[in-house]
Amino acid sequence: MNSEITRLKKAFLFQGLPDEVLEALAQKMTHQKLDKNRPLFHRGDQGDALYIIEEGKFKIVREDEQGNEVVLNHCGPGEAIGEMSLFDQEPRSASVIAVIDSEVLELKRDAFFELLDQRPDVSLVLLQSLSSRLRFASTYIQKAIVWSKKSAEGDYSFMDQIQPEQAESDEDKAGQMLSAFFHMVKGVKEREENLKEQVHKLTLVIDEARRKQEFEELTSTEFYANLKLQAQKIREQRKDKS
Amino acid sequence: MGKIVSIHSFRGGTGKSNTTANLSAQIAMKGKRVGVVDTDIQSPGIHVLFGLDETTMGRTLNDFLHGLCEIQDVAFAVGEHASQNGAVGRRLLAGYNLWLIPSSIRGREISRVIREGYDVNRLNEGLQNLITEMKLDYLFIDTHPGLNEETLLSIAISDILLIILRPDEQDFQGTAVTVDIARSLDVTNLLLMVNKAVPKTYHYEELKNMVEKAYQAPLTGILPLNFELADNASKDLFSLRFPDHPWSKELRKVAAAILEVQ
Repeated sequence: MNSEITRLKKAFLFQGLPDEVLEALAQKMTHQKLDKNRPLFHRGDQGDALYIIEEGKFKIVREDEQGNEVVLNHCGPGEAIGEMSLFDQEPRSASVIAVIDSEVLELKRDAFFELLDQRPDVSLVLLQSLSSRLRFASTYIQKAIVWSKKSAEGDYSFMDQIQPEQAESDEDKAGQMLSAFFHMVKGVKEREENLKEQVHKLTLVIDEARRKQEFEELTSTEFYANLKLQAQKIREQRKDKS
Repeated sequence: MGKIVSIHSFRGGTGKSNTTANLSAQIAMKGKRVGVVDTDIQSPGIHVLFGLDETTMGRTLNDFLHGLCEIQDVAFAVGEHASQNGAVGRRLLAGYNLWLIPSSIRGREISRVIREGYDVNRLNEGLQNLITEMKLDYLFIDTHPGLNEETLLSIAISDILLIILRPDEQDFQGTAVTVDIARSLDVTNLLLMVNKAVPKTYHYEELKNMVEKAYQAPLTGILPLNFELADNASKDLFSLRFPDHPWSKELRKVAAAILEVQ
């Protein structure tokens, strides 16, 4: 049971719930085994359950216009699938298929609501959890807007001010988005620098007409003609000495 | 017979004096007998790098040009004075054979030489005598930037001409003209050096290929833009003070290229 509670805590929806509630939730969950290549659910199915992967690996897939399978993501042990469907009952937006023999914990929507009927305080905790995540996501979005504007103006200074931990955090979707954004800007900056390098590479251009003209101006004087003669003489003298 | 090495740049601000002073020091420390002549009579500067100022400077190149003394009387033995002047890098020159022939920094003497001019032939004879009398292996000539009569003379009499350029359009153009002049004056050993290259802005190998192709001469070093060198404000010889700095490492490549010339 303890391991199930630990697993439940990983689902963002349940973070912040007291252990006794999590235990009650765990009791309402059922184990389900899936052989390799078996679907957990299909795209378009009505969402009526949350799953937490215990063992194995799943792929989240959609079909493109030609009907070819496109893998959107992979999920492994501890990750939760379909959390929001507990509330919104929207049809599944993608299919989820076991890549290897796998095992999940299933929490049906009805069982979840049963618990909420018994424990109204849990609803409040869930609301708090959702609202803090919303605020968190809004902050990130706000940042992404500011950074997008700066990037568009060619000002990448904000990248130096960000802690790498913050930028590379992937503990949640907002963090992942930020991380992806950060990498995108980094890529753009690098490409830009490479382009600049190419511009530098191309700058050794010599104006040959001007070169010829300046050379002629310098060498057409009497001083130069004498110098040239003298230089030859000096070189010969020095050759004789050595 | 010692070799005359002229250090030249088409425009000012390429770091010519700093390069000349550091190269001559590096080569002296290889056990060679080295002289450095400041022929930038209009705006002398290299003496500062060797720790000379108005109070310590004795006779100058100007005195020689005006017929007041022999050129070897002007030579300041840097190695003999190195232990007395405080700079950490310069002190390493103690005991080495390095002489500086400074230009006067007195306004009156500078204006006199500009007003009256001087006999370019006398300068030439002086330089040749200096090599013989002091048994020099190398005589470095730090010139005024651009192509005037003195710089043309220094190019004409040089065994090795090192042209310093910055990686920019104006220097690329000016260097082309200097290279043509050097070829016209039969300079046999033409070397190039890039200074003040902004790190990471250029692909060094490509810059080298491009420069060598354009001028048909070896690029012996690409020295980075060096803020520490600017900070050093000519107080010391940078490559001796900071031998592990990238600037110093590249400078030693240039020194090695000069030593390789037969």
